[in-house]
Amino acid sequence: MAQLTLKNIGKSFDGTDVIRDTSLDVKDGELVCLLGPSGSGKSTILRMVGGFETPDRGSILIDGQDVTRIPPEKRPTGMVFQSHALWSHMSVAENIAFGLKLRRMPRRDIQAKVAEALELVGLADYGKRRVWQLSGGQQQRVAIARALVLEPKILLLDEPFASLDQHLREHLREELRDIQRRLGITTLFVTHGQDEALALADRIVVLQGGEIEQVASPDHMYRAPETRFVAGFIGSMNFLACDMRGGRSDHPLFQISAPVNDGPVELAIRPEAITVAPDANASSRVHRTTDYGTHILVDIELEDGTRLKAMCPPSTRLATGEPVGLKASHVAVFRGTEKLADVTPSDTREIEHV
Amino acid sequence: MTDMASPDSNVRKDGFAKRHGRGLTGLLLVAAPVILLGWLIIYPIFNAVARTLFVNSDAGASFSLDTYQRFFTDSYSLANLWLTLWVTVVCAALLMAICLPLALYLRFAKSRIAAVVQGLALFPMFVPSVILAYALIRTIGPNGGVDLVLNAIGLPKINSPYLTPWGPVIGLVWDNIPLTTLMLVAGLGGVSDNAVEAARDAGARHVALLRHIILPQIGNAMLVVLSFTVLSIFSAFTLPYVLGPASPEMMGPFMQRTFSQVQDTRMAVTQAVITFVICAGFGAFYVRSIAKNREARQ
Repeated sequence: MAQLTLKNIGKSFDGTDVIRDTSLDVKDGELVCLLGPSGSGKSTILRMVGGFETPDRGSILIDGQDVTRIPPEKRPTGMVFQSHALWSHMSVAENIAFGLKLRRMPRRDIQAKVAEALELVGLADYGKRRVWQLSGGQQQRVAIARALVLEPKILLLDEPFASLDQHLREHLREELRDIQRRLGITTLFVTHGQDEALALADRIVVLQGGEIEQVASPDHMYRAPETRFVAGFIGSMNFLACDMRGGRSDHPLFQISAPVNDGPVELAIRPEAITVAPDANASSRVHRTTDYGTHILVDIELEDGTRLKAMCPPSTRLATGEPVGLKASHVAVFRGTEKLADVTPSDTREIEHV
Repeated sequence: MTDMASPDSNVRKDGFAKRHGRGLTGLLLVAAPVILLGWLIIYPIFNAVARTLFVNSDAGASFSLDTYQRFFTDSYSLANLWLTLWVTVVCAALLMAICLPLALYLRFAKSRIAAVVQGLALFPMFVPSVILAYALIRTIGPNGGVDLVLNAIGLPKINSPYLTPWGPVIGLVWDNIPLTTLMLVAGLGGVSDNAVEAARDAGARHVALLRHIILPQIGNAMLVVLSFTVLSIFSAFTLPYVLGPASPEMMGPFMQRTFSQVQDTRMAVTQAVITFVICAGFGAFYVRSIAKNREARQ
C-alpha cells in the first residue's frame, strides 16, 4: 500500500507542452482512472510515474519519497501495457519469473510466487505454455500477473483492455477490480473508455490538453460535471444554446430559472433526464428511434432543426415523424467552459406547453 | 433438368479453364527467372562437380578424386583454406562487435544524432571495393596517412596490416558494416519498445536487457547476418587480392591464380567446389535454424 503524489509536473515534447502544471494525490489502495481523449496527456503522466519519461518540471513522490529522477528499473512501480508486451521467447511462467530472477530470489520461492500469481489471475495450469499459445485475454492476465508478482507499491495500467473485445473487456475489468481490492494496491489506470472509468475507478481524473479538467468520484463526475468539456466527454449530453434574461432561459422548450447573469448560455441535459410523450400539438418530432434492448434512444428534431437525444424505457412506442412533448428533470447551465448552475425543476412541467 | 444442368457444367468448365489459364500465366511469369537460375547457377554447379569427379581420357570418362586428394594433402592449399576460414570467423566476430552496438543505438536512440550516425554507417555501401582498398593502402599502408601523422609528432611507424591477414580483415569489415547494420536494425525492429520497457519495469538493467530480452528476440536476424557475412567474405576477391598476403592467400585469389597463372582449370574448379560446399554447409545451417525456430513457434 502506498500513496502517490504528483506535484506541479510538466512535460514538453519539441517545445509543445503536453502536460501543464499537473498535481494529483492518489491515496493508499485507491484506484484512480486517468480519462481523456487521445493527446490529452494521460499516458504521458502514467509513463512519468513509471519512470519511462522524466518530467521537465515538478516532482513525483511515492510514499513521500521523491522518485522523479529514479529510472524505471529501480522504481517501486509495476506497469501493464496495452500491447501486453510479453516476451515471446519465454514461457508464461518464465515471463512472470523474470523480475524475481533478476532480484536473485531462491528458485523455490520464485516457483511459489509464480504459482501464486498465476492462481490470482486464474491461469494456474498455464505456466508451461508459450505466450503465443494464449488468447488476447489470457495474455493480458499474464501481463497483470507479471506486474503484480513483484509486489509493486503502485500498479500502472496503460489501456490494458483496449485491444480486447467488449465482453472480455468487461469480464477482465471486473476481475481486475476484484484483484485490486483484494491486494489493496494503489492503482493508476489510463483509459479513453468512459464506461471503463465509471465501472472501475474510485476517482476519475479527466484530462484535456495536458491539464486536469476535473477530479471526482464516478457518480459525481457523471451527475455533476464541472466544465463543459467533462459534461460532453462523460456520457452523452444534449447542449442547447439560448440566452438568459432576468434569471430565465429563453429556450422555446426548456425555460428554466437560474441565478445567472444575462447573456448567452448552453443548457446541458442528459438523455435520461428527458421524458418524451406523444403530443399532437408539439413542434418537436421523432426523427429516429434505436432499440438498445435495455432502453430506446429517441432522436428528436426540434423546431429550429436542432437534434437532441432522449433515453426512454424499452416499452416506449414512438413512430418516426410523430410529434412529441419533452420534459427535463435536470438541467445544467454553462457559459463558455464554466458551469453556472445546476437546475432541478421541482415542477417537471410539460415545458412544451409553457 | 437438362437446362438446369448445362449452365452449371459450363460454369465448372469455365472455372477449370480459368484456373488452368491462371496457372499457365503464373508458370510463364516465373519461367524466365527459373530458366536463368538453372542456366547460370544450377547447371554450372553440377557441371563443376562433374568436371572434378570425372576425368576424360582416350579410354573415355573415368571417376577420380585425384584433385580433391591433391587439395587436402597439399599444405599450401590447406593453409589457404584455413586463412579463409580464419578471416571469415574474425570478420564475422568483428562485424557483430561493431554493428550490434551500432544497430542497438540506431534502433533505440531518439536523438537527431542517430540520423547522422545512420548516414555514416551506410556510407561504405557506396564506395566500390577497389577504391576502398586503395584508400586503405594510402591510410594504413607503409608510409600512409597514419605513418605520416605519427612521424610528424615524433612517434614510430605502425606495423602496417597491408599484405598481412589483417589487411583483408579490415577491408572486409569496413565493406560489410552497412549491410550488417541494416539487417540487425531490421531484426531489432521486431523488438517492441513496450517489450523493452516491460523488462526495465521488471528491474532489468542494460546488460540483463540485452542478454535476456533483446538477443533472444533477434536470434533469426543474427543468423541471417552471420550467414550473409560468411557467404560474402568466403567468396570475396577484390579486397583479399589487393590487401591480403601473397602466401598463404584467401580462396578467391587462390582460385584465380590457379586458373589464370597455373592454368590448372580442373584444380581451380575443385577449389571452387570445396568453397561452395563449405558455404552450402553454412547455408544449410541457416535454413535448418530458421526452420527449427518456425517449427517451435507452431
